[in-house]
Amino acid sequence: MSITILGVEFEIYYLILLLPVVCGLLGYLINRLRSEFNFLGFILTLFFTIKIFIATRTGVITEIPTTMFGIDFRFYMDSLAGFILLFNAIFAFLVWLYCLKSMSKKPGERVYHLYIALTLAAANGVVITGNLIFLLIFWNVLVFTLYGILLVGKKDSSFAARKAVTIIGVSDFLMMLGIVILFVKVGNINIPADPKLLLNGPWMITAYILIMIGAIAKAGAIPLHTWIPEAAKVVPASTMAFIPASLDKLIGIYLLVRISYFFFDITGSVHLRILLMIIGSVTIIAAVAMAMIQKEAMRLLSFHAVSQVGYMVLGIGTGIPIGIAGGLFHMLNHSIYKACLFLSAGSVEYRARTTDLDRLGGLATKMPITLFTFLIAAFAISGVPPLNGFFSKWMVYQGIIEFGKVSNLWPIFLIAAMFGSILTLASFLKITHSLFLGERPKELNKVREARFEMVVPALILALLCIIFGVFAYKVPLRHLIYSALPFSIVESGFWMPSLATVLIIIGILVGLIIFLFGTAAKPRRSRVFIGGEILDEEAARITGPNFYSSVNELGMLKKTFEFGEGGAFDFYNHFLGIMRGLAVVFKDVINSLIVAVYEYIGKLIKALGSLLSALHTGELYNYVGWIFLGGIILMLLLVL
Amino acid sequence: MIGLDFFLDRFGVFLSVLFVFIGLMSFIYALATIKQKGHRLEFYLMLLLIVGSGVGVALSYNLLLMFILWEISTFAIWRAVGFYRKEENIYAANFTFLINFAAAAIMLVGLVMLYLDNGTFNFFEIKIYNDLAAVLILIGILAKSVTIPLHIWLVPAYKSIPASIGGCLAGVAENIGVILFLRLFTTGNYFAPEFFNTVAWLAIASCIIGGGAALISNDLRDFLAFSTISQIGFILLGFAVGGTYGIIGGMLYILAHGLAKAGLFYGVGLIEDATGKSDLNAIGGMLKWSPVLGVSMAFLAGSIVGFFPLVGFWSKLAVIIGAVSNSAYFGIGAIVAALFTLLYNLRFYTKLFFGQNTGKVKSLSYVGLTVVFILALLSLLFGIFIYQPVDYLTANGGLL
Repeated sequence: MSITILGVEFEIYYLILLLPVVCGLLGYLINRLRSEFNFLGFILTLFFTIKIFIATRTGVITEIPTTMFGIDFRFYMDSLAGFILLFNAIFAFLVWLYCLKSMSKKPGERVYHLYIALTLAAANGVVITGNLIFLLIFWNVLVFTLYGILLVGKKDSSFAARKAVTIIGVSDFLMMLGIVILFVKVGNINIPADPKLLLNGPWMITAYILIMIGAIAKAGAIPLHTWIPEAAKVVPASTMAFIPASLDKLIGIYLLVRISYFFFDITGSVHLRILLMIIGSVTIIAAVAMAMIQKEAMRLLSFHAVSQVGYMVLGIGTGIPIGIAGGLFHMLNHSIYKACLFLSAGSVEYRARTTDLDRLGGLATKMPITLFTFLIAAFAISGVPPLNGFFSKWMVYQGIIEFGKVSNLWPIFLIAAMFGSILTLASFLKITHSLFLGERPKELNKVREARFEMVVPALILALLCIIFGVFAYKVPLRHLIYSALPFSIVESGFWMPSLATVLIIIGILVGLIIFLFGTAAKPRRSRVFIGGEILDEEAARITGPNFYSSVNELGMLKKTFEFGEGGAFDFYNHFLGIMRGLAVVFKDVINSLIVAVYEYIGKLIKALGSLLSALHTGELYNYVGWIFLGGIILMLLLVL
Repeated sequence: MIGLDFFLDRFGVFLSVLFVFIGLMSFIYALATIKQKGHRLEFYLMLLLIVGSGVGVALSYNLLLMFILWEISTFAIWRAVGFYRKEENIYAANFTFLINFAAAAIMLVGLVMLYLDNGTFNFFEIKIYNDLAAVLILIGILAKSVTIPLHIWLVPAYKSIPASIGGCLAGVAENIGVILFLRLFTTGNYFAPEFFNTVAWLAIASCIIGGGAALISNDLRDFLAFSTISQIGFILLGFAVGGTYGIIGGMLYILAHGLAKAGLFYGVGLIEDATGKSDLNAIGGMLKWSPVLGVSMAFLAGSIVGFFPLVGFWSKLAVIIGAVSNSAYFGIGAIVAALFTLLYNLRFYTKLFFGQNTGKVKSLSYVGLTVVFILALLSLLFGIFIYQPVDYLTANGGLL
């Protein structure tokens, strides 16, 4: 599939790699025309990805490989790649639009736009490559762009960037080893493998697990997630919305699906499926529990960005078609609503200049559109029907239940998933209340609705949440998800989203009527007083986090939370600790030992030298003695 | 027995061009940064001798000639390390010279044994049957190519050498050991899997121990020295496992490491000159001081780690493919070493370029900065246009 521009024929898939890079660089170099160049780059990339998306719905795009070094460098796009490319471009465009205003006049603004463009190009590259080593190249570029984009922070973010690159880099190297093992054992590993590779022998399983580590580290599953909450403290909301919330999920889960069902087929290996499901369940519960006790909006959202990965991995791990489709659908939904949440929270931060939940509140009347987008996305992530999050979670549940035919462990996974969903709802009640409801602190009285460019992306994403929920079967599932997977999907269960929507709307209307005409609309307002003293309003204000303070003071849990906040479960700390410990052994024990051996040899040679020099003292008696001794020895030799 | 026995093959030409280029960069950098009045001429002579002996070893096919060039290189390093003539410099120089010389003397015994077996010093005609000779020669190679357990001269040497010639030491002189290994052992003169396995494990040990030591070194020069020890291990690993991937990977590694380590050495030299310190904990915030230097050093460090748009990625990938083809356990060892590489480079870079600097910072030498920038740019360009060097090395089986 090619297109002719100015007499030069381009393949479209080169264009989606080159356009963001070229336009981003031009925009960086010619600062005055930055927005124009970037706009051109993003919109053209979006246009071409739509073309690729349409083309991949009927067939695959591939090309004859260029071979270098025994490695086939080839491109391959099927319908899975097509829809991921489409959403890569959509998210990049929306985030760019958002940070036109949100980043304006901030330090590092100029290079920030370049990094968004480069990240988009690299993410596109990951998706369109048809060979794992080729994929590894773009995967590596993402490390560089990640480091760069994280360094553009609200304050000094070098620690978060270092942590992120350590974790992602380590998993990259493990993945590299896995890919190399595959390359050596079976030769060129093209997408899709035909026939699928067998998981026979320890090395093949090792290879699968190593590549899987790379994939889930990118997606942000436990225990390789810790850079995300760390970064949430210091980087702008748009970075969070772009990288950990959407792009990383898209390409991480993309790779997981690719290796699990296009290279290998893990349906044959129950152990690997259970391993994935355990990772998923632990991720859901542990991360959502940490989210409950957060007092800072971005950090709370970032823990949810981790927790939701659990559903994706859980769904994909079931090995049941409906569960896999659910996991993939959840990835898409999560990218949409989590990006929306970060952008909305970013709008609040942009106006209120803080994300501390204790210092926020009552912004509903000041920022109604942001309230709407945030609320929709919050309901979606909590799994409230008829929004999209409910639907994909429901598919994952179905997958888990059907997994019961294979293993008796399924109730554990189901309970973990459902319990996680409840906690998610609880923590979103908290954050919604803290941001938009309750009493408004005095210093926030001048807050206005965010800028137009910042509201529009969030609004588009919120609308997508509604469409993907209400018309789940007609739009996303039929056109994006089902066609992307290599097997037919049997829907069990019964759910009619349109009917449910109508019922829910009726329910809401009834509730509204009761609210308006009942007594609830007219609360009695009076001043708060203790012991006759009237408290001023600030002291009497109850913030969202206060409601949940009982959670983190719950006996056993309290200690666990303290450990969690202190970094006791942080893979990074442990890994670095182990490596440092080894380093001390290497440097101060082994290396010092070798040095000591050399010094000992040196001393030995010196001692030998002084022994020999003792022969030449310059005293006549000595020499006479030697001559005498030598003479005796000679005579003895002659005689004997 | 000996004459001017030089020949041209693609490997030799590749290495010579690289060595002369690094020498040129060192020369330019030295012109801008060496402020010392006395014995400057000696400095440039030693620079030329190091580069010349490196090129000579790369192009020679006579083992005795190689040995003589080897000793010239040792001599030049001795003078270069002692350039500043302080007591600790002279001590470091003598230390360096003695270890290299002793190992070379042992190597000479091995070479003579080979000569007695084969009647020639021409390594195309030599077949090695004598394991003792191989081990003796290996000792010389390990000392020159700073592999465990003969690596210890590098730390004092790096501490006292001027940064300008240090780049040459890292990029040229240390490679001649692995070149001899490639020419004499890897190309099929010697058949002894145990020997190669042992060398591979030694190389991996060198990578890991060097990397670990670099992770906790607080002195810039210590850091560079241990980092070099760890990276040369990868080159030796590539040559020890052999095969197309191992050999080409090792050659690419010489390229990647030569460019990147020379660049890092010059960058560190610039920072040391400007701040007057070499303690990693006392220096910081250098990104604001010179963003160009920061970006260049990011590329150079990234090349050493082995991230894609840089040439280090390809060399590391090829060496690891070569290692796994031989035995997957080598691959695991190499990956552990690569993790150390990642960690120590990140720590080095973060500490140097972010945070706060204490004390005064002098102005930057723009000539020196240009040199660092060129080396970083080349690392990037070779990373993207990797096809050219690989094609050059693999065409016609490596012969012109």
